[in-house]
Amino acid sequence: MRISKGALLVVVALLVPFVVEFRTALSWFGIKLTILESLALAGVLVIGLLLWAVWPENGNGGTGTADSS
Amino acid sequence: MATSPPTEVTAMRNAYVDQFPDEARVIKAAFWSSFIALAIGGTLGLVQALHRTDVFRFIQSPDYYTVLTAHGVLLAITFTIFFLVGTFTWAVTTSLDRGVVDVRFTWAWYIMMVIGTVLVAIAIFSGFLESAPSVLGSELNADVLFTFYAPLEAHPIFYIGLVLFVVGSWLAGVDWFRTWLAWRSENPDERIPLPTFMVLTTTLFWYICTFGVALSILVFLLPWSLGITESVNPLLTRTLFWYFGHAVVYFWLMPAYMMWYIMLPKFSGGKLFSDPLARVVFVLFLLLSTPLGIHHQYLDPGIAEGYKFIAMTNTMFLLLPSLLTAFTVVASMEHGARQRGGEGYLGWLKALPWRNPIFTGMALAGLMFAAAGFSGMINAGMNINYLVHNTWWVVGHFHLTVGTAVALTFMAASYWFIPQLTGKELWNRSVALGQVLLWFIGMTFMSNAMHRSGLFGMPRRTAEPQYQGFDFEPAVGTVGEINMQVALGGVILTLSLALFLLNMIMTSIGDDSESIPDNTYAGTLSGAEDSPRILDNLKLWTAIAVVLVIIAYTLPLASIIDAGGLFGPGIEGVRLSTWVDPAVIESLGEVIR
Amino acid sequence: MSSKTEQREPEHVQTLGHEEYDPIGTAILIGIYFLILVLLWIFMYFVEFLGNGPTVVGMALTVVGLA
Repeated sequence: MRISKGALLVVVALLVPFVVEFRTALSWFGIKLTILESLALAGVLVIGLLLWAVWPENGNGGTGTADSS
Repeated sequence: MATSPPTEVTAMRNAYVDQFPDEARVIKAAFWSSFIALAIGGTLGLVQALHRTDVFRFIQSPDYYTVLTAHGVLLAITFTIFFLVGTFTWAVTTSLDRGVVDVRFTWAWYIMMVIGTVLVAIAIFSGFLESAPSVLGSELNADVLFTFYAPLEAHPIFYIGLVLFVVGSWLAGVDWFRTWLAWRSENPDERIPLPTFMVLTTTLFWYICTFGVALSILVFLLPWSLGITESVNPLLTRTLFWYFGHAVVYFWLMPAYMMWYIMLPKFSGGKLFSDPLARVVFVLFLLLSTPLGIHHQYLDPGIAEGYKFIAMTNTMFLLLPSLLTAFTVVASMEHGARQRGGEGYLGWLKALPWRNPIFTGMALAGLMFAAAGFSGMINAGMNINYLVHNTWWVVGHFHLTVGTAVALTFMAASYWFIPQLTGKELWNRSVALGQVLLWFIGMTFMSNAMHRSGLFGMPRRTAEPQYQGFDFEPAVGTVGEINMQVALGGVILTLSLALFLLNMIMTSIGDDSESIPDNTYAGTLSGAEDSPRILDNLKLWTAIAVVLVIIAYTLPLASIIDAGGLFGPGIEGVRLSTWVDPAVIESLGEVIR
Repeated sequence: MSSKTEQREPEHVQTLGHEEYDPIGTAILIGIYFLILVLLWIFMYFVEFLGNGPTVVGMALTVVGLA
């Protein structure tokens, strides 16, 4: 784990405002997302985040030193 | 600073309940009063969110305003202030290391506040009855909203209840001052400990600001509702309300600030960055909390622009202590993170104890408060305020401040306080972490959508903001989507509230535990010895605060009374011109304008 | 300072005093916050405030026009 489970949960929660308002921001550039597309984007972001978090650091897998709960 | 070598096992439990068992009982009672208000008020919030957005309507629209009044009064007054008196009593006794002078007095003011609350609640909730009983010659109801100024009129019981509640809080202040004076006579040369300093400065500005609302109720609204006087000057009661109405938001914010200063650094694993800076912040709040209430009245006719400009200037100055707080609190968190091995420019953030619901709740509350700082700046600006005045934007703003910065901090702090006060371990830390995260997510949806609704002019305090022949035009998306965000946010918040209450109940009925941490608060990197002695001169700061209030309010009040009469235009009451030559007011007014 | 502020912190890897500690991360975060504040304020003033017609008068005319 690159970050602790607690921190991971907090980052996922912090994604919510960004996903909600990203849709508003994009529309200023003429890109209109539907709600489903926003949800899909959120899903991709969360999965990406999870993959990043569980990916072993520097290739030497699973030392798990960063878990500071 | 005395530091003992780290020990893994405590020989004997040293929680608050072991140190001050009598005080712990009162504080526990105050917290439970606060939680009951939170439970009722929060549930009513869901009713409003679903009704306004037309997602689910099961009450009549006229009853919406009864719900709104109960929601506002129970959450903004009862929940916050009961929690405050509990926290402040804890802070005074813990930091002075002595009990209150007489715990019977403590119980007396607590019971007085409870009686006041019950009277207020009876008056408000009678509004739901088909035919409310007639008491004291008029029908019981109080659909006057949290902002209870004229022309809306409540039953006298409502005003009497409010007076009892506020006087109870004044006596609580007397209790804290007495305890401090008793401590000072034993420790004449010591600096006031920081938590007690925070309590005393906050209490002082509470005395200054509640003077206005006491005047408004006792001289104008109560005699009016009893039929003793025939009318009131509505602008005068509005101005007196807002004289109190903005300072009260700092009153309920100060215990949250106190938690961020003296608890958050501890939970981050560090120390408070600067004791002097914290004292400066609280002195600034004492000075500036009251002389700016007119910034709630930018759109009131009858108050000259010049007075509004003075209020705006004071408001902008008040951004300073909040920005100082942002720096000090984040720097204290960074100190903790680096002591826990955090590194890099921003990498230290990973080393913070995010698994701890107390820390995470307070940190997220602070983050939301930073966002509220932005919408607050928009509210404070005289011209740009016109864009959002009386719209749902303002509701979005104060759900970030009192609804998150304060409420979420209180809930997170409860996860620490209730074990301290009961000697029982928190029922479930994971549920607690989920609860604070859900509150953050729910408020993101609800508050963000409220802000955006305000931008396209959707009004606040309205049961049915749906109009025939007129459609709101959001810049992006549809009104339906925005309403759905509000409803979704409301549901998530209610779920979070239920989880909080469940955790509190399960903790309270749990078994005694020996593993409760000691009752301590954060140490300081730069302590009281580094702060100038003059900061502790409470008389000086109070005198300056009073002078500032006189400067900001004398002329506006004089011109309001001069234009509209003390008891309304139709009544020849005491007119100010009998004491002061109107020409003087006029010429002074010209200077201001 | 009294024993009220003593800490036992098993997760500490180092102790930083007043002299060794430089809150650079805080400075960065506050800097980012200021940047957001300024950008949002500019957006609110120039786009939302000046970009729309007079709110109160404009709305009243619309309603009156339809009534």
